Amino acid sequence: MKKRLKVLLLIMITGILLVFVYHNDRFYSEEIMKIKKIETIEKDTSTNSLGLKEEYQTKKIIGYITNGEKKGKKEEVLYEESYSSVVTEKYQVGDKVFIKDNEIDGLKRDFYITLLISIFILLIYIVGEYKGLLSLVSVILNIMIFYIGLFLYFKGINLLLLCITESILFSILSLGISNGWNKKTQSAIVSSITTIIMIAMVVGVIAKTTHYSGIYFNELQFLTVPPEDVLLPELLIGCMGAVMDVAITISSALSELIEKNKKISKEKLQESSKEIGKDIMSTMTNVLFFTYLCAGLPLFVLAIRNGYSMTQYLTTNYSLEITRFLVGSIGIIATIPISTIISIHLLKGEKI
Amino acid sequence: MNLILGIILFLLMISIDKKRGLKLFMSLVLNFLILIILFSLIAVGINPIICSILACLAVSYIILFMVNGDNVKTRTSFVSVIVVLMILTILIFMMTNLSRIAGFGYESLEEINMFSYDVRIDFTEIAISLILISLIGATVDASIAISSALFEVHKNNKHLSKKELFQSGMNIGKDILCTTSNTLLFAFLGDFMTLVIWYYMSKYSFLDIINSKTFVEELMKILFSAIGCVLIIPITSYVTSTSLLKENSK
Repeated sequence: MKKRLKVLLLIMITGILLVFVYHNDRFYSEEIMKIKKIETIEKDTSTNSLGLKEEYQTKKIIGYITNGEKKGKKEEVLYEESYSSVVTEKYQVGDKVFIKDNEIDGLKRDFYITLLISIFILLIYIVGEYKGLLSLVSVILNIMIFYIGLFLYFKGINLLLLCITESILFSILSLGISNGWNKKTQSAIVSSITTIIMIAMVVGVIAKTTHYSGIYFNELQFLTVPPEDVLLPELLIGCMGAVMDVAITISSALSELIEKNKKISKEKLQESSKEIGKDIMSTMTNVLFFTYLCAGLPLFVLAIRNGYSMTQYLTTNYSLEITRFLVGSIGIIATIPISTIISIHLLKGEKI
Repeated sequence: MNLILGIILFLLMISIDKKRGLKLFMSLVLNFLILIILFSLIAVGINPIICSILACLAVSYIILFMVNGDNVKTRTSFVSVIVVLMILTILIFMMTNLSRIAGFGYESLEEINMFSYDVRIDFTEIAISLILISLIGATVDASIAISSALFEVHKNNKHLSKKELFQSGMNIGKDILCTTSNTLLFAFLGDFMTLVIWYYMSKYSFLDIINSKTFVEELMKILFSAIGCVLIIPITSYVTSTSLLKENSK
């Protein structure tokens, strides 16, 4: 009953928040227009080199301004919309859009993102209760550390060094919050930091010796900093979560075993941790596989529909995604033996 | 460089366990093939949403039945994954259409400016299928973890009622929630890093960022993966506890 009341309260708070976000136009310095009417003025088709016919529609979008000096005034803009919406958007009556120099400058999306975040928080509270909220807190703290780290990077500190320092903080925070401060958490922290540093060295050496051959930095090209500097830290942060996950699973399982049978031998412990490791390695690599490798889909479609061959795409634009996945999986699997050794040493050596 | 990393990964897998490692490597290769086939089918112009739902089913079939074997645990997981997929497809369809995250944002214009945009394929549907496939791995992972743990609980305590089984499933789920949300978060933070650097250099304000297409798209991808993980917990707990007790009464 008590929980139901809390859920109700949470729904009310998010409701108020959503209403506020929907009406927050006055906080924007850019002009915002609410669309009242859309008229199609002109239809056009254009054909690309493969003979694909794309439809373009020029639309007259009429609405009124909702903020700033011109609040309440009527505004008319022209917008060219395409069937594919590769770089354009399809607006509807009721949408709020940004106006810049009498042209539409994108949809106001803050409401939708708040809506989805609210749904997520509600669900995580209903299913995970107190623990769910705790994991949310650790997520928020991690994002804050991440942001502070980037801020320091802009101030001129080496990114790789920052990432390794950050990963120490990440592991202490997230493992400490979700599992409390005890022996198994400590051994998980030590194992994840060790793994991350080892991966940094191994991947760094491979990257240096192969001179990043076969990696195309298309995706990172828009940065004015050398992409090589960003790649390694990015890879490390990417596999951080998975490494911590595996480390805590193994160390808590081992500490459970030691607690049940204090005289358990080192070989027995190694045996069981190998068993556990087998189970996690397949599921975890699958998680990373899909989260990373799907990201290339839009570009793939665009490239193929422009007459590029599949191999061309796979070896150029897709290479970075594959690297991310490979490094992440190496992280997962390397954590299994490393955390076994460290956990046995720390948990057994202290004679609990 | 990827080749070397791939070889290292393969050797590590084998060194943990020969049989299991080989099986895992094969399933990854198979998943990769499915992914490429899916990508090509979409590129040819077949409906992306239907394609990706079928691909999700194929992938969960491979992960569950090939890697973990055909038994009560995997069958109940499969059913639960299908239920979650159905719920999420509707939600993703709505959100993607509302927030117009299809296509590419300003950040990627430089990357795609060598292509013609006249491709005649609706990128809204592509965005939907992208979100659908990226959440499948995490969802299946959480589902099998819960159903196998529940199976063990049931084996050791045959007298537990359906309600008690469901409750212990939820308890196991809470532990998974924390770790999986972290794994997902960091996988996406890695991607985010370049984006945030870009935003910083283009002098975006906080409000600019939360309204930008690329940021919203990335965030929705994480949130939907996480929502998939959360939703699968009660659903798997329910389906598994029901089917375990049914099997018992036979």
